[in-house]
Amino acid sequence: MKYRIPYLILTLLSVIGFCLSDSQSAEAKDYLDKVKPVLKERCYACHGALKQKKDLRLDTAQQIIDAGIIKSGELLKRLTASDLEERMPQEGPALHAEEIDAIREWITDGMPVPVDEKPADDPANHWSFQKIERPSLPEGVKEANPIDAFLAAKQQELGLKAQPEAERSLLVRRLYLDLIGLAPTRKQLASDVPFESMVQDLLASPQYGERWARHWMDIWRYSDWYGLGKQVRNSQKHIWHWRDWIVNSVNKDKGYDQMILEMLAGDELEPENPEVVAGTGFLARNYYLFNRTTWLDSTLEHTSKAFLGLTMNCVKCHDHKYDPIEQTDYYNMRAIFEPHQIRLDPIAGVTDFEKDGLPRAFDDHPDAKTQFHIRGNPTTPDASKKVTAGVPAIFASYAPKAKEVELPAYAWAPGARAYVQEDQLSAARLKLDRAQKALEKARLAVASQKNPESVSQGENNSGTVIKDSFDRANPKLWDIVGSGWSYNGGILIQTMPSRDKQFARSKNSHPADFDLALDFRTTGGTTYKSVGIRFDVTDNGKNSHTVYASAYDKGPKVQVSHTHDSKTTYPNARAAYPVKVNEDYKLRVQVRGNLINVLLNDKFLIAYNLPNRNPNGRIELFAFDATADFDSIEVQALSKDIELMKSGTPAQKSKSVDPAEALKLTEARVKEAQIGLRSLEAKIAADNATLLGKGKGDPAVSARLEREHVVELARVGVLTAEAGKLKAAEKTLKTAEAKLKKSDAKYKSLRGSYKALETPEHKEPQYAATYAKTSTGRRLALAQWMISRQNPLTARVAVNHIWLRHFGEPLVESVDDFGLRAPRPEHAELLDYLAAELIESGWSMKHLHELIVTSKAWRRTSSNLNADPATLAKDSNNHFYWRMNSHRMESEVIRDSLLNLAGTLDPKQGGPSVKSNPSVLRRSLYFSRSPKQQVKLLSMFDDADALVCYRRSESIVPQQALALFNSKISIDSSAQVAASLKAEKSDDKFAAQAFELVLCRKPSAAELDACKTFLVRLEEVSPKGPARTRLVHALFNHNDFINIR
Amino acid sequence: MNPDIKTALARRQFLQYGGYGFGSLALQNLLRGEELTNPSGLPYSSPKAKSVIFLFMRGGLSHMESFDPKPALTKYEGKTIEETPHADVLNPEKFKDLRVVVVNDANGKQRTKIYPLQVGSKRYGQSGARISDWFPHIGSCADDISIIRSMWTTDNNHGAQVQFFSGRHMLDPRVPTIGAWIHYGLGSLNDDLPQFIMMGPRYFDKRDGHYLGPAHDAVALKVDPNNPLDFAKPEGNVTAAEQRLGFGLSNQLNRLTAEKFPHDPVLEARIKSYELAYRMQSAVPEIIDFKGESESTKKLYGLDQKETKPFGEQLLAARRFVEKGTRFIQIMHGTGAAGAWDQHSKMKEKHAVNAMQVDRPVAGLIKDLKQRGLLDETIVVFATEFGRTPGSQGSDGRDHHPFGFSVWMAGGGIKGGVVHGATDELGFHATEHPHYVTDVHATIMKQLGLDARKLEVPGQKRIDMDFGEPIEQIIA
Repeated sequence: MKYRIPYLILTLLSVIGFCLSDSQSAEAKDYLDKVKPVLKERCYACHGALKQKKDLRLDTAQQIIDAGIIKSGELLKRLTASDLEERMPQEGPALHAEEIDAIREWITDGMPVPVDEKPADDPANHWSFQKIERPSLPEGVKEANPIDAFLAAKQQELGLKAQPEAERSLLVRRLYLDLIGLAPTRKQLASDVPFESMVQDLLASPQYGERWARHWMDIWRYSDWYGLGKQVRNSQKHIWHWRDWIVNSVNKDKGYDQMILEMLAGDELEPENPEVVAGTGFLARNYYLFNRTTWLDSTLEHTSKAFLGLTMNCVKCHDHKYDPIEQTDYYNMRAIFEPHQIRLDPIAGVTDFEKDGLPRAFDDHPDAKTQFHIRGNPTTPDASKKVTAGVPAIFASYAPKAKEVELPAYAWAPGARAYVQEDQLSAARLKLDRAQKALEKARLAVASQKNPESVSQGENNSGTVIKDSFDRANPKLWDIVGSGWSYNGGILIQTMPSRDKQFARSKNSHPADFDLALDFRTTGGTTYKSVGIRFDVTDNGKNSHTVYASAYDKGPKVQVSHTHDSKTTYPNARAAYPVKVNEDYKLRVQVRGNLINVLLNDKFLIAYNLPNRNPNGRIELFAFDATADFDSIEVQALSKDIELMKSGTPAQKSKSVDPAEALKLTEARVKEAQIGLRSLEAKIAADNATLLGKGKGDPAVSARLEREHVVELARVGVLTAEAGKLKAAEKTLKTAEAKLKKSDAKYKSLRGSYKALETPEHKEPQYAATYAKTSTGRRLALAQWMISRQNPLTARVAVNHIWLRHFGEPLVESVDDFGLRAPRPEHAELLDYLAAELIESGWSMKHLHELIVTSKAWRRTSSNLNADPATLAKDSNNHFYWRMNSHRMESEVIRDSLLNLAGTLDPKQGGPSVKSNPSVLRRSLYFSRSPKQQVKLLSMFDDADALVCYRRSESIVPQQALALFNSKISIDSSAQVAASLKAEKSDDKFAAQAFELVLCRKPSAAELDACKTFLVRLEEVSPKGPARTRLVHALFNHNDFINIR
Repeated sequence: MNPDIKTALARRQFLQYGGYGFGSLALQNLLRGEELTNPSGLPYSSPKAKSVIFLFMRGGLSHMESFDPKPALTKYEGKTIEETPHADVLNPEKFKDLRVVVVNDANGKQRTKIYPLQVGSKRYGQSGARISDWFPHIGSCADDISIIRSMWTTDNNHGAQVQFFSGRHMLDPRVPTIGAWIHYGLGSLNDDLPQFIMMGPRYFDKRDGHYLGPAHDAVALKVDPNNPLDFAKPEGNVTAAEQRLGFGLSNQLNRLTAEKFPHDPVLEARIKSYELAYRMQSAVPEIIDFKGESESTKKLYGLDQKETKPFGEQLLAARRFVEKGTRFIQIMHGTGAAGAWDQHSKMKEKHAVNAMQVDRPVAGLIKDLKQRGLLDETIVVFATEFGRTPGSQGSDGRDHHPFGFSVWMAGGGIKGGVVHGATDELGFHATEHPHYVTDVHATIMKQLGLDARKLEVPGQKRIDMDFGEPIEQIIA
């Protein structure tokens, strides 16, 4: 056998430690085994195919000999030199003594040259660097689907016999899991829709987008923001807009080329279309507060790996050791991104960026210079190296030139957008309106100057302190009534929304005058979504008072109500309040005599006189039409020091008791709101004139009014200053007044966006309200180059990712590195064919999915059963796809499928990320996740690492068994699935049905027997118990439930 | 998982299963359980230790007020460093290793006005090692421990916590931590127990395995027999008998599946993992239940005192895990985002409280391990991410200080009564035998019989600094 293993295969083989060179002489074998690997690792990068420093190549024995460096003694001299300037290799430590010995030995042996040793090929000829041409289909194979044609040709050549198609039910399951990530329900499983139509239906269903978006979210490193406290350090708030962009793009089958354009340069492509700009969330996700170089390093590394399969990160500090990419390429590419920054753009109807905003990229500093960093160290820039924005030189021939993009005012002056102006105006008007109403009330109060109430009949503090943080069930403290209650992780949880009475009632009576604090979250519900407490509850439950927060969509509020002889009345003791689902609230109820005060999140809302009381009753926690988490409750005697607001006090904090003082403040507030509105109107007029060329607004008027407004704000500040801060407030007012007298006021445009801080020392208000009017167009040019028909990498890399997620194995093993370390794959033609197919179908992913799942290859059984023994022996690892690979469900698919089978999955799509919680039943992709925030159940099953995840792991660890056996979701879902099959009267039929539903195949006689025996035995240990539920539970723990067979 | 691991796995699979069919990444665990990850199935050299208990004081323990007292600070109180004879410590050349995360952050600035020692110190044991009065109980173990006074790191902010475990700076990519490497490299000591455990408040990076895969992340554990680890108990009304039958049925059905899906190693691995899970479920709570411990033992760990109880319980649990065969236990002390030891102010008051919480339990651990003969095979590490500045921050604090700080190690073939390395007179720079954090890793690995360089994963570049060198002077 001649030694004809190509260079790259050799790489692999040398790793594996094989030696195939049987026919080599022993000495040449030593060269191949001991010398060449060392040279390859330490010398080839500079003296090989990639580079030939000093015209020296060391990649074949003959070349080494011909170079004369052995004869001259130069080789050994340089390898052993102690002077670091002279020593080779220049980078890293010296060769080890035994490595140098091996070279010496080879020289002593007379430098035998291996038979047929070939120099390494020119890196430019690397397979994945060649333009994608559609290969012709193999001849002599009759297969309708090109995938099958390519695979069949190889199988025939090797004499491999393919396995037959999987049974229909398993195939349906595979299709559902692959395309929409949800295990099929009983009905779906039983459907006799032809397979091809089922494919169409699933690809058209909105769940398809959710399933495949999650794959791309792995590759594109989706992460919700994280930082410290409120400080954003990584990614961006409201980055879910980008997640929704991904889901929508996938669902609409937007071309992959278009998706790349929008992710890298949506702001340059369609600056006035927020739906396109949202794609640049890809860039916003890389935001890093502390270090711009780290930020851009991430951007560069993962843009290159995700779209191109290029390891650009390797060339940050030095030229690439394997690929024809140089360090200058790194900085040229960095220059593409250098000008960009991240900001939140305004969302119509929202004026608070804490609440919502669109994270996006934009060129903030078009002139920003990029410096070449010696050894990647930002503290040692090399000014002599010229850096020009561009793609790596080896691929630059077809790169379009960046063209500057003139931006519309909509993009560079977000504060001048019509909806922003309107939103701010309505907010200012609303503020004025409220201030005026408050003023009227204050005037009335001054006029009457008397106490409208009779207060308190003195202290009454009998009763018990009630305190619980719900760490565990506490039957001594509470009677739990109704269904849906459970304790978990220090939370008392109510999961079943109902209008029936279900509550936790204290066994002890509360102090008559009490101070109650309840920490809770409304987690969902049907209509009214009311959560709260009752007090003065009589033992028969027929009389009580209630305080609750209702997250009713049409009018969220906090309300006090009375129940007398089971009849409830709702007096005018309420406050409108934007109670939201899944937000933490602290409800505080203070009662002295008949007077009640209600505060939410420390904000005073209601003061009211109760018509009657049954003091020293019980406390109840309840959720009405709602699901809720209760974190803690504390009810204690009301301290004498606490002064309650009198009945009729308007909501809002107003501590001043003196009506005259209150009047003064409300007057100041009205004035402030008036001038504020006028100032805003003037500013908008000036913006329209100067930024948009509309109308005649005068900037000088705006500037002056703004200063006036500052003065009014300062006046309110003085009136509301807490003790100790009064002086500072007065000083602020003086400064403002002094400034007003000067004539140097500068007009500032309306702020409509929120720019992410460039460094932690900055404060957002110091940034200008308007931005650069042009964008460099560099990112757009980069994206256009990526999707150019000439680009050899983009489509190949994408096809490989898609293939991996259908077949459980990729065509190119190193999914993020298509460089020289990636040998030409076995199925290179197939890869190229599919890449061409992707491009020519308009980069349609759905087209590719359809082609794949309708292939015979994808539809084959994954079992080795009855496989041809010769095939098994030749290709046990299934490199040639003669059977399907079975692979594990991703963590999300496990959870979502449990919910789907139970019928409890909340189908709501899109919107802000939600905190994980056992009572949240949304699909898993909507959970907030970041390196700091993980979802326990998902992390057990190898969920995506938000820092880098080009491919999921499939570990098998005992914690997974514990999670599936003990998690609430799996226990609850079992009960729900069992209930859905309750029509099955006989245990036999039930067992068969449950088995089929969960595992999607009919049980064998032995399997059915095992299930039946289980039912009998369980009935023995838990008579009339949950035997059927436990059977379903055990099936969920079957290997073939969490695997895709 | 990074696909590069597959190369390594492919190799292992090939070596061990020859022509057998595989189709999954899962094998790494299958292999780990029985066959050991290390291809030879054994440590590389005869091990001196079996287990590690790695204690970590989050926030930055002052070295001058713990294991490297510096009387010069009291002598030069109030002077600037430039005014002392040791002005050369500020020579910029000496700061070249520092990599700054936060430019101009208020943290990590040079604090040049010397702040006097906030606590006295004494010599302890035959070795006469000087230790501050905040650690009298650890002081009483001086002859069992090796103090290393010459540690340094390169991050001047709390990213140094991750750096201490991974060897990499915050700005570098995340790589596996020392516990993950050991978990990857060594086989199980007890198939009923997790081999890599984490207790206490974790730092921001929640993973350990990184490119080794999540199977090498630490299993988070609480000292609560009712709920020691995630999903240890049914979150619903499932009785023990029902559960036993359920596990039994799942296993039986999985075995029957082999008829339809023969030669499936994933299925085999799944069956094994279920068996282990079932055993683990009862084994772990048993270990965390201290009923069998004598009152004197509990007292040794400070379980009788409310300040020392929380940390003491974790350490007692650690001993019990080591006894039953857990490889690596990391225990963090100090809650809060940065960690409780981060005394930018109120140094005296708060360090004293923190020290009080850990001193007795840690000494108790050493003594207990010793009296049970376990100290010979268990390495105890007491570390922190960096020291604190010799100069003052504000009126009563010290800032972060990465240039010189102290840790100590004991057991598992580490010498007792050794003080190794030194900082200069101000405690500023590690001057004698400076050690980067990975030297601690290398020392641990050596004692466990592992060679870090042989654990390399193809395609994952590791640099010399990642491996470190064993600190031979403290090895018996």
